[in-house]
Amino acid sequence: MIFLRHQGIAFKLSLWVLSGVTLVIAAILTLNYHSTRRLMVEKIEDNALNLAQSTANRINTLLKAAEKIPAGVALTIAELEPDDTELKSLLANLLEQNPELFGIAAAFAPKPDSAANNLKLYSRYFIRSYDRIKESPINYDYRSHDWYQIPKVLDQPIWSEPYFGESGGIVMASYSHPFYREKEGSKKFAGIVCVDLSLNWLRNVVSSLKIGDTGYAFLITRNGTFVTHPNLDLIMNETIFSIAEARNNPEIRKIGRHMIAGEKGFTAFTGLTNNQKYWMVYTPLPANGWSLGVLFPQNELMADIHDLTKIMLGLGLGGFFLIMLVILLISGKITKPLRALAESADEIATGDLEGAIPILKSEDEVGRLALSFAGMQQSLKEYIKNLTETTAVKERIESELNIARDIQMGILPKIFPAFPYLPEFDLYATIKPAREVGGDLYDFFMIDDQHLCFTVGDVSGKGVPAALFMAITQTLIKTQVKAQPKRSSTATLHQVNNDLARDNPSMMFVTLFIGIFNIVTGELEYCNGGHNPPYRLSPHKTDPVQVLPTTDGIALGVMEDFTFTAKRITLTPGEALFVFTDGVTEAMNKRDELFTEERLEKILAPLTKQPVQEITDQLIQEIEIFADGAPQADDITMLVLRYSGKEAK
Amino acid sequence: MEIKELKSEGEALVATLSGRMDAMTGGEFTDQMGIWIEAGLENFIIDCSKLDYISSAGLRAILMAAKRIKSLNGSLQLAALQESVNNVFSISGFDKIIPIKETLEDALNQ
Repeated sequence: MIFLRHQGIAFKLSLWVLSGVTLVIAAILTLNYHSTRRLMVEKIEDNALNLAQSTANRINTLLKAAEKIPAGVALTIAELEPDDTELKSLLANLLEQNPELFGIAAAFAPKPDSAANNLKLYSRYFIRSYDRIKESPINYDYRSHDWYQIPKVLDQPIWSEPYFGESGGIVMASYSHPFYREKEGSKKFAGIVCVDLSLNWLRNVVSSLKIGDTGYAFLITRNGTFVTHPNLDLIMNETIFSIAEARNNPEIRKIGRHMIAGEKGFTAFTGLTNNQKYWMVYTPLPANGWSLGVLFPQNELMADIHDLTKIMLGLGLGGFFLIMLVILLISGKITKPLRALAESADEIATGDLEGAIPILKSEDEVGRLALSFAGMQQSLKEYIKNLTETTAVKERIESELNIARDIQMGILPKIFPAFPYLPEFDLYATIKPAREVGGDLYDFFMIDDQHLCFTVGDVSGKGVPAALFMAITQTLIKTQVKAQPKRSSTATLHQVNNDLARDNPSMMFVTLFIGIFNIVTGELEYCNGGHNPPYRLSPHKTDPVQVLPTTDGIALGVMEDFTFTAKRITLTPGEALFVFTDGVTEAMNKRDELFTEERLEKILAPLTKQPVQEITDQLIQEIEIFADGAPQADDITMLVLRYSGKEAK
Repeated sequence: MEIKELKSEGEALVATLSGRMDAMTGGEFTDQMGIWIEAGLENFIIDCSKLDYISSAGLRAILMAAKRIKSLNGSLQLAALQESVNNVFSISGFDKIIPIKETLEDALNQ
């Protein structure tokens, strides 16, 4: 169903509804076909049974009529005991009066011959030959013949199997009727009366059955031999079983068995001489146990149903296309505004908010959609207008902040080497500013020919207040150091602290490290105002990175009149001081892990002999690797001062 | 950060700080302290055992609170600081302004 995704609503609607309609039509057609067919078959069965039964009755009646003649003769012989002349006259007359008879015989049971003391056969047989009656003596011992023996043994009249008459082409059958004589109070078999009957009339009766254009009937004997059949070749030559055998068709054999067993039935049947499908009904003739089969061609009978089904199919197809047309019209009408809306939406998606939304009169779902869509377009327009204004304001503030930052950074000395004419020391300092304006600071300047003052500091918080506080601190220190006659770091911090703390309700503060370095002797006086303790880098010692001893100070701006203390160390040539802000040690990576003092010390250790700028460059690189793309939260500031011990020339 | 009023023991209110304390959460702290001070409370003990980090802006918020409480003759003590937070206080020297106790019990027994 993936292809459906790309189709329109009209198409999908048509597809689903028409699928449903098709199913319903197909179901109706199938149901109708089967129920009509069932009714039809039931009706055919009724009619067929009636037809077969009436035909069988008719044949039976004719056979019964034929049976009366020999029965009458048998009665006459038994009762009147006619002499030879009377018998001949009786037989000849009967033959003459009944044209359907071809012969009539009276054959007596042998009587003991008193003279010869042997048995004597006595019979009279008259036949019809070319429209004349003549006697045809029986010159054989008839006692062993079926027509005589079977009725004698069975003690009842019997029809013979059919046979071809002597004159040829005429199918005949004989009816044998036994007669008896009363002797000493008991009935004794006395002989047989036998008539030969043409069965041509039977064929006429059967073939007179008109069953559609191709239906027919046939008659078989107790053995299954065909007596009548439209195909004359079968008559007397084939039995229903021989045909079943030839065709290897057990179904025909089964039906044949039912027929010769004298059963009635209705069944589907395949034609014996063609392969047409028939409904067949079979019924026995009670007179002689033969069976009549009547075949109704299925295709003729079903032709009506097929015609009806075709008409219904046509109606169904017509309905299908009509519904399809209606759906296409309706869905087209419904989806037309939707398509227009979709086009507008596409336009808006490209960023064009000015495109007109189609106005719909209807207040259905589509109408409401169009309304809310127009509302959305309006809101979007307003939102974008507001956003544009806000962005403009924000950009202005940002540009002002950038200017503030530029000014702030401009305060810092940034020309290196800063003192190319002083070979006694090397100094390098750098700030890597965070995106947001921060409050880191550093500074260095010569107080006199021999003393260098340097500071590194970090103002609490961020933004413009921090930047301003930083600028004030920077200016205050520079002024105070130069104002102190004794070049005292403690006095400087004391004064700056008081100045900053005097009016500071928001408790802004700055941590500050200040050092005053004698560039000739390597002596360093330093005072730490709550700042991260710097490192002393001593390349020749086993522990090259050492934390500078604390001076137990406090950050500036918080507590007025705090008494700062200073410490002194003397650097040997080659030793350096590394001062930094917490932007280094608190640099974070994406997992919120800190850079830490331990990592800093580990990285510093092999760098102690490197040129001063090399040390800071290397560290900034290491911090970037550590941060791995995490945004820099705080300013990163570093200052390296190395005592070379060289003298000025 | 989370600020939680734990309990009032005698005259001191014990509040717990947890997580990170920076510019943003420092503002929350300042607001909350304002509410408590307005309500007449003067003595505070801040349990920092769950405070993982404090920035300079966070420090500033505590300093402001301490200054305000001092002007009211109240008291503000910090207790049970983690090592990293304790370092921040000792390096900046603010442990000289704000009393820091090793445990909450020490602060309560003051």
